[in-house]
Amino acid sequence: MSVLLETRDLKKHYQMGASIVRALDGVTLSVQQGEFVALLGTSGSGKSTLLNLIAGLDRPTEGSLRIFERDLAQMSGEELSLHRRRNVGIIFQSFNLVPTMTARENITLAMMFAGKPRAERDAAAGSLLEAMGLGGRQDHRPRELSGGEQQRVAIARALSNTPHLLLADEPTGNLDSHTSRDILSILKNLNQREGKTIIMVTHDASLAETYANRTITLLDGVIVDERTPSRV
Amino acid sequence: MTFRDTFSLALRNLGEAKLRTSLTTLGVSIGIASLAGMVSLGVGLQDQFVERFTKSGLFDTVTVTPGQDLPGGLATLARGGRRGFGANRRAQRATPSPDATPLRSDLNDATIKELAGLDGVREVYPNVRAPVEAKYGSDSEGMLAAGVPMTAKDEGAFQSITFGRFFSDDAARECLLSLDMAKRIDAGSPQGLIGKDLILIHAAPGSGGGGPPSVEGGLSANASRVEDPYRIVGIIERETGPFGGSAAVSGLMIPLGRAKAIASATRALQQALVPERASERPYNALIVKVKHAQLVQDVEDQIKKKGFSAFSLNDALQGAKRGFIILDIVLSLIGSIALAVSSLGIMNTMVMSILERTREIGIMKAIGGSDGDIRRIFLIEASAIGLFGGAAGVVLGWIVGRIVNFGANVYIQNQGGTPGNLFSLPLWLIGGAIGFSVTISLIAGSYPAARAARLDPIRALRHD
Repeated sequence: MSVLLETRDLKKHYQMGASIVRALDGVTLSVQQGEFVALLGTSGSGKSTLLNLIAGLDRPTEGSLRIFERDLAQMSGEELSLHRRRNVGIIFQSFNLVPTMTARENITLAMMFAGKPRAERDAAAGSLLEAMGLGGRQDHRPRELSGGEQQRVAIARALSNTPHLLLADEPTGNLDSHTSRDILSILKNLNQREGKTIIMVTHDASLAETYANRTITLLDGVIVDERTPSRV
Repeated sequence: MTFRDTFSLALRNLGEAKLRTSLTTLGVSIGIASLAGMVSLGVGLQDQFVERFTKSGLFDTVTVTPGQDLPGGLATLARGGRRGFGANRRAQRATPSPDATPLRSDLNDATIKELAGLDGVREVYPNVRAPVEAKYGSDSEGMLAAGVPMTAKDEGAFQSITFGRFFSDDAARECLLSLDMAKRIDAGSPQGLIGKDLILIHAAPGSGGGGPPSVEGGLSANASRVEDPYRIVGIIERETGPFGGSAAVSGLMIPLGRAKAIASATRALQQALVPERASERPYNALIVKVKHAQLVQDVEDQIKKKGFSAFSLNDALQGAKRGFIILDIVLSLIGSIALAVSSLGIMNTMVMSILERTREIGIMKAIGGSDGDIRRIFLIEASAIGLFGGAAGVVLGWIVGRIVNFGANVYIQNQGGTPGNLFSLPLWLIGGAIGFSVTISLIAGSYPAARAARLDPIRALRHD
């Protein structure tokens, strides 16, 4: 296994009024290709901030963040959007589907930004939704879908440009426990069968230990615990 | 992201907010309609003006007068120099200049031949106005009968004779009347005058003369009075232009040959009566017809070089064109006010749309949309509003123009005028209006688009 992601003394500080919030305060970690890593922590621990930095949605204040041998801290805005388009697929707690678009259109939108031709987009979106068990729901808008279905559409969208790295920010936060297990099974499957590297933010330690290869716990912007669950 | 995808996405977004999009588009279309309407009014008026000018047959005409005969201001213009006071001082400077050309006033048949030989000249004929007394029934009136050459048959106002026909030949005792004149003679049915005779009376030296000699109180014994019947063969609707005098329709027109004969008889009499005041030249002015309107300036210059004064409508037309440009600018400024308001409408719509779609913009950025992609989507949305608004505005402007035109023409006809197209919508105006609308929309949309592109994706994703 080779290293996919490596951070060194990564810091993210925000100015909030007169005070400085140290959301991340020197995080050093590395993630191997094919790992399923869970980032644990209470709210405000910095886990989502770390995920946003890895996604290229935000820039670090200090330190380095290398993904595929390239330092995100040095990238231009255009390069960061290219990184989001090609290297990562992001899954959010609140699904973040475009409400005016159907399930299929939400998926093809991501491929549109990647410049894929229409026929290819439609075919890929169809088979992704099929694989997520949503073959019959392609032309439904988000409000016509259940939470679990919406999250499956979001996973399909995250996979649409075939990234190596999937980033999930509390993917089950808005779902009941049964649906949560469904979604996590899908992610686990993608990790095991397709070799996708997954970094998932969650506050549910038991879920993390059930599905992830490794859990990293953050508190006040620093890593306080790192363990590999015995049962995988 | 390809342009086609960006375009279809933008259209889709517009379609999602149908009411807002259509209201904004309506605003733009009203702005463009007012602008296109105003400019089309300017163009229409200009076309009307130029058309009437062209009909007057003066566009290809240069009027030649003796060098010193023009009134001061015009002479200065025509000769490009100053005479009168100070002329002697200028002459003393003895610098060779175009002014050194000796002035000429010999407007005679030899000069006609000479000018006819110039490059670009089609025809030269004298401008003859024969003083006559016209009598119809018991009424009579003194007037100047204009001599019209046979070649004028297919030109200017003579192309379309309202009633009747043109002269049969140069020596025929026939006359044409302007509609105004015909109405003065017979207000009830001017066209009923066709085929009737108008008696033209003029003076001649007593020795000759076609009619029965009669002695008038004011003339000495050797003058005679000639009365000839002239058949009224046609009536022409007078096309008034600012220079209606020289070659355009006059109240009473007779063949040039006839007019020359009358004028020379009158002049002979004048010479016999007051030899010292008699004019040494047979004609007061010559009309030079040019082969193409473009050659007018050239011919005018050649004639001036020979020492004559020359004047063409070219000069007046240039001034009029400048006037129309100013009119167009003023009209388009008025029309632009509505467009400026509607461009603010576009900006408002786009800013509202960004507020509403902040989260969507965040999503697009998160899944790989670049700042440029987002900017382009919004710019295309704005320009699509401009395109549709522009096209609808041109149609709206055209409809309003037709309605106003109809109303105005009804009024003009009631006032006894000639109806015409007050609004003209040429292709360049249609294309220009739509292009302008798209440009304005792009400008109005550029700020919101830049704002959308700059949105921080994390904040945008948290936006409700």
